[in-house]
Amino acid sequence: MGTVISIILAAVLTNNFITVKTYGICPFLGVSKKTQSAVGMGIAVTIVMALAVLITYPVYEYIMVAFDANGNEIYNFQFLEIIFFIFIIASLVQMLEKIIQKISPSLYNTMGIYLPLITTNCAVLGVTELVIGDMSQFLNGATMNLGWAVLYALFAGLGFTLVMIIMSGMRERLNYYKTPKALAGFPTAMITASFICMAFMVFTYITI
Amino acid sequence: MNLLEFGVQTWVTVGIVAGIFAGSALLIGALIIIVSKVFKVDVDEKVTKILENLAGANCGGCGCSGCSGFASKLASGEGNLSDCHVTSPEKKAEIAALLGIELKDEERTVAVVKCHGGEENCAEKFEYKGNPTCASCATLLGGNKMCSYACLGCGDCKAVCPENAVEINGKLSEVDPDKCISCGSCISACPKNIIERIPASAPVYVACSSKCRGKEVTSACKVGCIACGLCAKNCPQNAITMRDNLPVIDYTKCTGCLTCVAKCPRKIIIKRDVASAQDKEVAAQAE
Repeated sequence: MGTVISIILAAVLTNNFITVKTYGICPFLGVSKKTQSAVGMGIAVTIVMALAVLITYPVYEYIMVAFDANGNEIYNFQFLEIIFFIFIIASLVQMLEKIIQKISPSLYNTMGIYLPLITTNCAVLGVTELVIGDMSQFLNGATMNLGWAVLYALFAGLGFTLVMIIMSGMRERLNYYKTPKALAGFPTAMITASFICMAFMVFTYITI
Repeated sequence: MNLLEFGVQTWVTVGIVAGIFAGSALLIGALIIIVSKVFKVDVDEKVTKILENLAGANCGGCGCSGCSGFASKLASGEGNLSDCHVTSPEKKAEIAALLGIELKDEERTVAVVKCHGGEENCAEKFEYKGNPTCASCATLLGGNKMCSYACLGCGDCKAVCPENAVEINGKLSEVDPDKCISCGSCISACPKNIIERIPASAPVYVACSSKCRGKEVTSACKVGCIACGLCAKNCPQNAITMRDNLPVIDYTKCTGCLTCVAKCPRKIIIKRDVASAQDKEVAAQAE
């Protein structure tokens, strides 16, 4: 239980992908003008993150390296992780888009249009890289396995969605106010983003 | 660095890596092909062809979500081609040929503000001192006018109009029909949704958007429509129907007899200056 809470806290608040790790800044600034599209983008990123980790983690752990009966390496291609992960994620998103378009056109209209945008999004590639690295600080003593990896990816995506919704809500509100002409539009969004990031610094020292 | 300095082992590794990539690329490629075959979505060829001919402005003026939505609506035979105000007549003719329908001669449309509740007619609920935009004002109790369908007069429509056709007179916006290009910017900018398109030659229009019943309207506004239905009863062409406590004029039937203008007890059906606009054109041509 402690591990679950620790992973959720780390993924959503203390190590939020946007505000602390600064991954996925392009959708954060680009798709946060309206709450509706921000939610769609967030859900798409969350699903792709969880699915990507579900596939890349076993591939990295069990396919890209093999041992014989005595524990000696037969082969080890783990150094090819980045290029392989891009490969896997890109094709996964391609297939996911096709499947969603067939199964649920209404879901495709709300979420599917964001899928091509996140084919090799840094947040998605980032989470697959993170879970194969040293995760001991979030695990609260447990050993890393596929379950924790997917849980981390899922809540990292939800943390991403949370910040997207906060940002889009603030940007929608800011439209009602007169800003100096030099700061109108995107500069205001950058200032807003910096304040959100500073606000999330509050959570940095939360530990279980 | 001389490549030949690498040992045989290095070249073997490079070869194996290349092999792995080629193999996995083939595998994933095959997977994608299988998935796209299994989950193939049949796209109507008509839709793509219509979409190519539409202007691609994605303005939403037709009421659909972008041009692709409008194209699929047209292909299914529901949409009305004249709802699009951006596509050029030549392209529209091509679309009409694709659909196998006849292109009707379209009339130029203009936007009108369907409210006459200016300062003197409709009282204010409270004094609004916030940001001078309608969008901001409308978030406070739906605006500071007694009538919740009234023009707030902060000029959001004036700010977005590309032709400077909107004027604010006494907290009420008015569209100059001669300048209006019917782009729909003000229609989507208005938070109260009281701006509407009418044909440029329309002899009359209803200058009220209140869906309230008569008693509520009289308490809020001096000129608002009280939904008495006299215009609908007296129209010799039966061009007027009452819907949501408001008269709706069918401009295809309207002959411009102005009976409704004479009968309206609130004088809210307004005669438009159509003749004078034509005169102006004639005068301009004469010059």
